[in-house]
Amino acid sequence: MKTQQPEKDLPPFVKSWKQFYGLLIIWLILLIALFYAFTKYFE
Amino acid sequence: MSYIDWGVLIATLLLIVGYGVYKSRGAQSMQAYLLGNQSLPWYTVCLSVMATQASAITFLSAPGLAYTSGMSFVQFYFGLPLAMIVLCITFVPIFHRLKVYTAYEYSEQRFDLKTRALTAFLFLIQRGLSTGITIYAPSIILSTILNIDTTYTTLFIGSLVIFYTVYGGTKAVSYTQLLQMSIIFCGLFAAGIMVVHLLPGNMGFSKAISIAGKMGRTNAIDFSFDWNNQYTVWSGLIGGFFLQLSYFGTDQSQVGRYLTGASINQSRLGLLMNGLVKIPMQFLILLIGVLVFTFYQYNKAPLFFNSYELNKLEQSPYKAELKKIQSDYDQSFESKQIEVNKLDKALDANDQKAIDQQRIAVKKADEQNKSIRKDLTELMLKNDKKAATNDNNYIFLSFVTQYLPKGLIGLLIAIIFLASMGSTASALNSLASTSVIDIYKRLINKDATDQQYVNASRWATIIWGVVCILMALYTSKIGNLIEAVNILGSFIYGTILGVFIVAFYLKKIDGKAVFYAAILTEIVVCICGYLQVVAYLWLNVIGCLLVVIFALLIQQFRNKKTAEEIPAV
Repeated sequence: MKTQQPEKDLPPFVKSWKQFYGLLIIWLILLIALFYAFTKYFE
Repeated sequence: MSYIDWGVLIATLLLIVGYGVYKSRGAQSMQAYLLGNQSLPWYTVCLSVMATQASAITFLSAPGLAYTSGMSFVQFYFGLPLAMIVLCITFVPIFHRLKVYTAYEYSEQRFDLKTRALTAFLFLIQRGLSTGITIYAPSIILSTILNIDTTYTTLFIGSLVIFYTVYGGTKAVSYTQLLQMSIIFCGLFAAGIMVVHLLPGNMGFSKAISIAGKMGRTNAIDFSFDWNNQYTVWSGLIGGFFLQLSYFGTDQSQVGRYLTGASINQSRLGLLMNGLVKIPMQFLILLIGVLVFTFYQYNKAPLFFNSYELNKLEQSPYKAELKKIQSDYDQSFESKQIEVNKLDKALDANDQKAIDQQRIAVKKADEQNKSIRKDLTELMLKNDKKAATNDNNYIFLSFVTQYLPKGLIGLLIAIIFLASMGSTASALNSLASTSVIDIYKRLINKDATDQQYVNASRWATIIWGVVCILMALYTSKIGNLIEAVNILGSFIYGTILGVFIVAFYLKKIDGKAVFYAAILTEIVVCICGYLQVVAYLWLNVIGCLLVVIFALLIQQFRNKKTAEEIPAV
C-alpha cells in the first residue's frame, strides 16, 4: 500500500480547499447565468 | 451494421477489457482487490465516479429528452456540485481516516452492529435489483438496433463485466472506466461535429440552435417554483442536492470509487472535478439532442423511432389506421417544413417581426406533430396494452445508425456497451465488497486469511453477477419492473442518508435510537410510496428528514426514561 500523502496538500489554482469550494459555487452560479442567457437568447 | 462497424465495436471492447486486465495483473491482497491499494490519482477517481453514475441510458435518454421536450433536464444536476462540497468536507475525510472498506462499516464504528447490518442489507437489496436493470435497459435497445435477441446482448455485457471485475477487482474497474470515459468523450464529440456537418449547407451552429429554440427546445433554465414541474432550478438545487448526497455518500458503488484515491485530497479533488465537469458535460449531451432535432426539421424523422413497436402495429388488424396516421404525418411534415424554411429566411434577414410570427407558426406545427404521435401511441396501446409508447431512448441511436458514417456507428454503439459495463462493474464490485466485508467477514468468518477473503470477494462478484444477469433476463418477461426498481431506490436512499446524517452531525444520538428511527422511517416511506402521496423522488428528502426527527425523539424519550430510572435505583 502506498503511503498516504500529507493532508496539507493544496488543491490546484487556489490557496486552500475552502477557496476551491468557493470556486465551485461561483462556477455553479456562472453556469446557471450562462444557461439563462442561452435560454433567453435562443428562445 | 457494416463489417467496419463490427470491427470497431469488437476492437474497442477488447481494448477496454484488455487494458483493465493488464493494469490490474499480479497477486492481490484484500486491500488491493477492494480498495486498489488506495493508490489512484484524482483524474482516475473523477472519471471512475463519472462512469459509475453515467449508465448507458444517460447517453441514450438525454439526447432523446432534448429532442422531445428540450434541455430542462440539465437542471436535475444543479445540486451535484453542492453535494460534492458536503461530501469533501464530511464524508471523505471520515471514511479515509477510519480506513473503512465500505460506508456501512462506519455505521458500526459510530453506532452498533445492527445499524451496520441494516444499512448494508438495504443497500444490497436496492443495488442488487437495480443492477439487473442497468444491464437489461441498454440490452433491449441494442437488440432492436442490431437485430439480435436481448438474451445474447444481456449475456454478452454481463459476462464481459464479470470477467474483468472478478479478475482485477476495483483496480480493473477504475482503469477500464478511465479509458471508457475517454472513448465516450471522443465519440460524443465526433457525433456532435457530424450532426452540425449534416445540417443543410447554409446553416451554421448558431442558426441550428436558434431554429430549435423557436420550437421550445433550448429551455435550459426555469426559475418558476412549481411542485409538479420535475425540472426547475429549485427542484434541481434542493431535490437534486439530497439525491446526489445520498447517492454519492451512502451508495457503496460510489463510495468504493472515491475510496481508491491515493489520499483524502486525491479523492476530494476527483469529486470536486466531477462537480466542475458534470453539468457542462450533460449540457453538451443535451445539445447534441437539440441539433438532432434541428436536423429532423429538414429530413423527415420516422413516425416512431422504436421500429420494433411500429412493425408490430403494421402486422396488426390496425394496419389501416396506421396508414392514415402515416399519411397525416407526411402532410404535417411538409407543411411544417414550409414554416421552418420561412423562419430560416426571417433569421437570415434578421427581421424580428417575421421571426416572431414564424415562432408561433413553427410551434403550432410542432404541436400538430405531437398530436399525431399521440394518436399513434393510443393506437399502439389499443393493439397491445403493454406496448412501449416512449421512444426517447431510440431517437439518438436511430439517427446514428441511419446517418453517421461507417466506423463512427460502431464507435457509438461501443459507447452504449461501455457505459453499461462501467456502471455494472462498479455495482458488482460494491455488492461483493459489502457482502464480504459487512456480512461474511463480520458475521460469518472473522478469522480467515487475507487470501481467503480475496477468494470470497471473487466468488461474491461471480454470484452477484449471475444474479444480476438472471434479473436482467427475467426483467424482459415483466413489463414495468424498471419503474418499480427506480421507485424502490427512492424508498431506501433517504433512510440510509438519514442514518449517515445523524452519524456525522448529531453526536448525542446512539445506535438504538437511530436503528429504530430507520425502521420506523422505512415503514412510513413505504406507506407514502404505496399510497403515492408525493412524486417518488421526494421520498429521498422525506426519508432523510424522518430518520433525523425520529432519532431525536426516540433519543429524548430514552434519555428521559434513563433519568427516571436512576433515582429509583
